[in-house]
Amino acid sequence: MIDFSAIIWGYIYVVTIGIIAMTIYGMATRPNIVKKLILLSILSDTGNLIAVMLGVHSGVIKPPVFPGISFTNHEEVGSDVLKEFSKSAVDPIPQVLVVTAIVIGLAVLVFLGYVSLLLYQKYGTLDVRLLEKKIKGEAK
Amino acid sequence: MKNKEILLGVLAGLIVLALVYLLVSLAIIIVPPQEDNRWLASWFLETAYNSERKELWSASPEVVTSILWDYRGLDTVYETSVFFFAIIGGLMLVRSVKIDPSKLGIRGMSVISKTVTKIVLVSIPVVAASVALHGHLTPGGGFQGGSIFAVASLLAIVALGVGFLYRRGWSKVRLLGFRTMGLIIISIVIMAVFIAGLTIGATGYIVQNQWKPWAPIGYGYLINLGLLGDVLYSGSLIFLNIAEFLAVSAGLSLAFIIMALPREELIKGGDLE
Repeated sequence: MIDFSAIIWGYIYVVTIGIIAMTIYGMATRPNIVKKLILLSILSDTGNLIAVMLGVHSGVIKPPVFPGISFTNHEEVGSDVLKEFSKSAVDPIPQVLVVTAIVIGLAVLVFLGYVSLLLYQKYGTLDVRLLEKKIKGEAK
Repeated sequence: MKNKEILLGVLAGLIVLALVYLLVSLAIIIVPPQEDNRWLASWFLETAYNSERKELWSASPEVVTSILWDYRGLDTVYETSVFFFAIIGGLMLVRSVKIDPSKLGIRGMSVISKTVTKIVLVSIPVVAASVALHGHLTPGGGFQGGSIFAVASLLAIVALGVGFLYRRGWSKVRLLGFRTMGLIIISIVIMAVFIAGLTIGATGYIVQNQWKPWAPIGYGYLINLGLLGDVLYSGSLIFLNIAEFLAVSAGLSLAFIIMALPREELIKGGDLE
């Protein structure tokens, strides 16, 4: 009997970790700053994906939100019900980390976008090899 | 050049291998996934809305928001300030930019995309506000709502032109004001219990939500709204979500609007001459 779940999960982890390796390689070798930014955002998204996957366990069928509660329906819930609920809910802690990581990643990306926009307006190129020469004043 | 690229590739592979070794040897990555939640996750899931343990709960069935703004609230406040400084840093680069409404583009894209965008522009902010307001009840919150709202302004910039937003009063000063207002509301909400505790001589904490046996001041969690009866608002969580929604949506919209300004304005604003 082959354990298919282990094979599928192993495949997903291998693919995501392979993406991380490729983005690090690409950021080091691609000369264009915009391509570096795209690779950086793919790297952070893959990291977030791995973090969320760590929260999954084999009995997951629910998000980490206790169902049926709304503004007007706020019944009191005791320990026994919540113990049952926690067996079928996904781990909330990685999701908390990812929520803030995404927004801060977006803000940092906006900042880097400003920097590259101004670099392009001033020097007319985003190729780091040409930029180095132009900043030193060796090329027009 | 070729050798250097191969070396960098090998280096990237080694970094990733070290990462994988750490994650697997510390049993963080388990293939296939474990049977049950880790004990810390179970603790949060069992305590966040447990009315039998009111000294530890956060009065919200949404465990993610509970951790984000209650159990781990101070951390999120600092992350909000990281967000604040990233946007401020971006705006500082073009600090002397002056927006001249007569030079802003109003042509936008074709009639088809304009019409579709105008329909979508109504619905995206509604979804964003709903996600932010229900942040303590359903998946979502201020961060997510703000990001969704920023998509709407990005869409308006691309399809209708920056001038469209500017003529409807989305000026730099006003957006900065909205964002600062959100941050001020956050700081008032997180400091209120601490200051109230100081004035009456009881223990109160920064970012405290519900009362504790040793710190008797809290925000409460039910409010009577007449016809609706008792409404669950989960203490400080709803205020923090709304304030964060304001701060994130205004900050990101402002960053996108400035980024879409014409070339000459950016060159002038960034002192690139």
